Parts: sequence; structure tokens; C-alpha cells
Amino acid sequence: MIGEIKMKLSRREFARIGCRVIIGATAGSAIIESIVTNSVASEDPPKGEYDWKEHLWGYVIDTRKCIGCGRCANACKLENEVPFDEPVYRTWVERYRELKDKDVKIDSPNGGINGFIDDVPAEEINKAFYVPKICNHCENPPCVQVCPVGATFSTEDGVVLVDYKYCIGCRYCIQGCPYGARYFNTEKGTADKCTWCYHRITKGLLPACVQACPVGARIFGDLKNPESEVNKILDKERINVLKPDLGTKPKVYYVGLDREVR
Amino acid sequence: MQPHLKKAFTLLAIAIIGFIVVRSFIVPVSFGQYGWYRGDAIIDSMNFEIRHAGSATCGEENCHNSIYSIWIDSKHKTVNCETCHGPSEKHVNNVRIMPEPVNDTRDFCGMCHFKSAARPEEFPQIDPDTHGENLRCAYCHNPHKPWFV
Amino acid sequence: MVENLIWGYIYPNEAEIQWSILIVLYPYITGLVAGAFIASSLYHVFGKKEIRPVARFALLTALAFLLVATMPLLTHLGHPERGIEIMFTPHVTSAMSGFGYIYSFYLIIVVLEIWLSFREDIVNKALSSHGWKELLYSVLALFSFDISEKALHDDEKLAKRLAIIGIPSAAFLHGYVGFIFGGIKANPWWSTPLMPIIFLMSAIVSGIALLILLYIVSTVFRKQKIDHNCLQSLAHYLWIFLILDVVLELLEIVSMKYESLEEIDIINRLLSEKIATTFYGVQLTLGIFIPFVLLLLVGIIKNRETLKLIMISISSIFVVIGVFAMRWNVVIGGQEISKSLSGTMTYVPVFYSIEGVLPAIIILIIPFIILIVLTKILPPWKDMDKGVE
Repeated sequence: MIGEIKMKLSRREFARIGCRVIIGATAGSAIIESIVTNSVASEDPPKGEYDWKEHLWGYVIDTRKCIGCGRCANACKLENEVPFDEPVYRTWVERYRELKDKDVKIDSPNGGINGFIDDVPAEEINKAFYVPKICNHCENPPCVQVCPVGATFSTEDGVVLVDYKYCIGCRYCIQGCPYGARYFNTEKGTADKCTWCYHRITKGLLPACVQACPVGARIFGDLKNPESEVNKILDKERINVLKPDLGTKPKVYYVGLDREVR
Repeated sequence: MQPHLKKAFTLLAIAIIGFIVVRSFIVPVSFGQYGWYRGDAIIDSMNFEIRHAGSATCGEENCHNSIYSIWIDSKHKTVNCETCHGPSEKHVNNVRIMPEPVNDTRDFCGMCHFKSAARPEEFPQIDPDTHGENLRCAYCHNPHKPWFV
Repeated sequence: MVENLIWGYIYPNEAEIQWSILIVLYPYITGLVAGAFIASSLYHVFGKKEIRPVARFALLTALAFLLVATMPLLTHLGHPERGIEIMFTPHVTSAMSGFGYIYSFYLIIVVLEIWLSFREDIVNKALSSHGWKELLYSVLALFSFDISEKALHDDEKLAKRLAIIGIPSAAFLHGYVGFIFGGIKANPWWSTPLMPIIFLMSAIVSGIALLILLYIVSTVFRKQKIDHNCLQSLAHYLWIFLILDVVLELLEIVSMKYESLEEIDIINRLLSEKIATTFYGVQLTLGIFIPFVLLLLVGIIKNRETLKLIMISISSIFVVIGVFAMRWNVVIGGQEISKSLSGTMTYVPVFYSIEGVLPAIIILIIPFIILIVLTKILPPWKDMDKGVE
């Protein structure tokens, strides 16, 4: 039996098989091409006055300013129809408390929307601070990489969006996001995430969370505009991003980030 | 090739061609317009309904400009109107639709102003147990023009 | 109640475990498919004659499980009706996007392979039966009744080529499932280049073990004598692949612990508190160590066929359970640690729910029903008609 499988190849047979492989490969690639190039990629931006080629959006979070009021997370849920009573958030506020015994307590009850309760006496706390979190709209987004059908994508102006009419709801993107910024929307049956209020920023408005922040801890702006506040901070301050080692290249930049924050 | 194999491969070819034909009908026209996604999805995202009108809108067109002019000079000018009064884009478009009533409890003001170890020290904070005898904050403080005792 | 299931800090969006027991089932089922196919190719490609009694049966087993492989996925989707998009617009950078095409390709290979190796029987039945049976078998024969020496010879040649293509595609089918997990850099428990090959080895192991069990059960039902030579040969392969499997699985854990990166604390917590029983107990001890020793004894002991039969059966049952535990530990375990690396969640399976235990049990039973139907239409037992060859 083993002898039989050794295919004895004469030169003619070899040529014949070779021809078949070549024909098969060309036909195969032609089929794949017909599948891949559905329509010629367009250079024109989507209709309307907004030109996405003129912008590249960026976001700065100054953790030193945040007071943990949670109005950002609240405004976000109201602006974007995020299921209000479910534990899903497009943005949330974390509280870090390093105790005197060096134990670090992290919490974010209901994303910070109802505020925080002081359940540890101030005497026991070494240092404490709030850290707002939001989708990082990575330049190299793992969620877009893993979407099997092309239902999530990066726009030309640097925003990662979900196509709710195309998403199959496999939740692979939720697994792929290192920042826990994605959630499953049970009402839509699809994955969902922060859009940096794409419906607002394309009309010249600020994202709802930025507008709601009373202390200016959240700053939003155009990285392509050298005069924008975001660029001024990036030029002046020492900034960091979350999990830089994962190579996702976030576009949410943090000022005053502690080593405990992941 | 044997006839039965020819038949089998013909069936297979028909299935593959059928698949390609069906696919060409079903895939949305705008798919691949800008990248590996449905181009119209961007329009969908842009057209999502706005809920927060922004404070500037409240002061416009002789609506609330007296309270607006007080607020804009106060320490609370960084607090957007809708942070306390609720999303108001619907109200801006139709004055009959009122935004939600303001939450004027101590706890609501306390979200920013109750003492907390994690808040920056220079931010104005009070100890709710010793300050204000459990009265509503607005009893002493004007939320549109706060002062510090 | 939810609070008790959470330890430490998890990102607020992580409170819900996204991939449930159904997604545990998916790699388990594709693993059984790949394993059964590779077992059958031991005969079809590598010419291991002693496996002949189960070779065709293994193909039917592979098909039966392959037909249900999509079910746990479709049941789990938020929009099952959009599932076909994975074939219409597969996003090539996603490991998951390959599913539609790899699956279809493999299905075609398996169906063709079965058709070719059963064609002689199909034609004979079509010619000898009447009524609807005649119609059924004639359709299956595609109304070509040529079973001359030359036709059968051509069939066999093609079947062998298909089987040769089939091995890498079976390996690919399951290796890519491993990559779905191994390629997720966000999750330290999943992210390892070893994952595809670990998945492949455990797939082969589970496939062979299932085949052994099904062979024993079906022989008892048919009141035939068990071919001990075939059984022990399968047990031998099972033992070899078990070694490869355990080496890779331990290598992963050892290198994780030895390198002790940022995530080691949460991994240690996962292993010692969350999945200690299912990992050390079921996956390693029950699923690998005990079968390893038993199968070693089977190899050493001379004669005493009944004892060996019992030991092989027990090993196979343990292996099948152990591989399920392995899938569970990967899929569920990986989701029980927070990507904040400072907390854990707990997955509590629900029984009556679209993503619960009940549909999982139903999906696991269906392939056996399909297999019974398949063996009724296409009896794979050559010895049934002709006696042991």
C-alpha cells in the first residue's frame, strides 16, 4: 500500500500536472479577484460638506484634572442610545486608590455614572486619582483586524466605526479589543462602541463626553490642525497611551498616567 | 475522465458559479467604496440623531439669554447647561418638548463637590456630614452663579 | 449576585461573558472532524492496512460532525441571517473570515472522498433495489452505473489524491480555529503561537478516541467480533499523539510561568482558583496522564484482549472528556480573566437559554443521529456483507 502512494512521475506527467497547477492558479486568482474587487475603490469622500480628508481626530485625557463626577459617561449614554440600565459603556471613569499597605483598589461602579462612594477612610489612602477611559480609536485597531466580514472599519479621519446593518454579532472584536472598549448591544444584536460622536464631530460639534466634562479633563481636536488644543498639549506635556506594548497606536493620549493604569 | 466524475465536477462547478452569481446580487453596492466595508455605513453614522444641543444654543435668539449671561461669567461656566438640565436638542427644535426636570438633590451636586480622596485637592469640595445641615445646596448657593463661603 | 462572581477590577464592559458554552463546542466538534479524518487517512494515504475496518466509518463520522459544526456558531450569532456575509465579503485579516471557505472546501473533499469510496456499493444497491430506494441510490450514483475495473481504479486514484489534499486541509481547518484564539494579543491566556498546533494535536487525539469508542459501540450493536488488531493499532496512534499533545500543552504553561511577564499574576490566579479542577484535574490528569499510562500498559501487556479492550475504552472516554475540558479551559478560561489584568469573572452556564447547556447538548446529540442515518444509507462495514477480509 505504501508503495502505491509513491506517485511515479514521468516527465510528461510532470508537465501535465504543472500545466494544471498553472491553469488552476490563474482561474482561482481570477475568481478571488472577482470577489475582492467588488467596485473600484473611490477617492471621493462621502457626500456632504464635511471633508474627511481634512481631519484626523485625536483625544487627550488629563487625569490630573478629573474629579470623577461621571457626567461624561452619563452624557454619552444619553447621546448615543447606549442601553442605560445595562452594564455596557462607551466611556467610563475608573478610580484608583493606592492604600498605605501598597494594596491598589480599582473600581468603576456603573462606569462612574452614579458617582463613587468613599468606602475607605482617607487616612488609609496613600494616593488616589480618577482615570477616564474611552475607545482609543487605535491607528492599528485589533478590532478591525479581527472582524470577519468588514462590519467595523477605520475612517479616513481616524475614527473606528461599526456598521450596525452589516455586523453579524460574532463578538470577535469584543475579544480582540485590549481595552474593553467594545460591548455587545443586545437591542441591536451587534457589537457596539464609541464613535467619538461621529454624528457630532462631522457637524463641527464636540463629542458629548467632552462637552459634558466640567473640568476640561477631556480635550478633543484635530491632529491635522497645528493650532488645535490637542496638538498644543501633545507638543508641551509628557504624554502616554494605554498598553503601548501591544502596538495598537492609540489616538487617546493621557497626561499624568500612573503605572497602575492598564 | 470517467462520466460519473465529469458529472460530479459539473455539479461542483454549477454550485460555485451559482454562489458567485448570488453573491454579486446580495453584496451591498457601496461595499468596498473606501475600504473593506460598506461605504454607506459612514453616512449612517453621520446621520445619527443629535441629543445634546450645547450651552451656546441656550443663550441664542432671546431664549434664555438673561440666565445665560449670568452663567457665562460664573465659576460654573465650564458646566454645560445639559449636564444638569438634561439633553435638550429636541427642546431646541420644539419648545413644547421640555427637557427632564433638574435633579436638585444634595447627592447630585455632591457628584462633583463631596469630599473625595481621589479628587484634585484644589477642587472645591465639602464634607456632606458637617456642611449645610442637610439642606438642598441651592438653598444657599445659586447653581448658575456659585460662590464660596 | 453578579458581584460575587467578580474578583478584583474588571473593565465595566466585561461583566458579561461573550463566548458561551456553544463556542466551546465549536472547536470541540471541528476537532473531532479533523481527528476522524486524519485517522481515516492513516489507511487511505499511509496505507495502514490494520485500520481498514474503521477507515470508511471514520469518513462518515467526520461528515456527521462536519455537518453540525456550523450550528453552534450560527446559534450564537447576534444576526444569524447575516452569517453568509463571511463568505460574501470575507475580511482577510481576520482569522475567523477563513471559516466559510475552509469549511466549504473541506466539506467538498469529505463528501467526494465518501462518494468515491462508497460508489461501488451505491451502484450495486441502485441496481439491486426497487422503488424509492432505487431512486435514492441512483441519484447518489449520479445515474452513472459504471463499476468496471477501470472506473473503480480511477476512483481509487482520485480518492487517494483527495485524501492527500484532505490531510493538510483537515490540519488547516483545525489549526486556524486555534489561531482564532492564538492571534488575540489582547488576551494573555490565548495569545501564543503554539495555540494552533496544540489545537491540532488535541483534535487528532479526540478524533481517534471518539473513533475507537464508536467502533466498539457499533461492533457490539452489530453483534460482530471486534478486530483487536485494528483497535490496538488505533490505541497506539492515540498514545503517540497524546505525547505530542501533552508536550505542547505543558510547554505553553511552562514558558508562560518561566517568562513571568506582566500577566503572570492573573494567569496564576486563573490556574489556581478559576480553572484548577478542569485544568489540572480533568484536562491533564484525567484527559492525558491516566490514558497515557493505560495505553502504555496496553502496549506492554501480551494477550489478555478483554482487559486491553476495557483499558482502551476507558482511556478513550477519558480522552474525549479531557479534550472537552481543554476547549473549555481555553475558551471560557480566557474570558474569565479581565484584560485589565487585575480581576476575574466567573462564567455560570444557563440551562434553558438559546446559548445555554440544553442547545449545547442537542447540538452534541445531532451528529450521532446523522451518523446512524448515514450508516443506514451507506453501510461502511465491509465485513457485514463479505465477512472479515
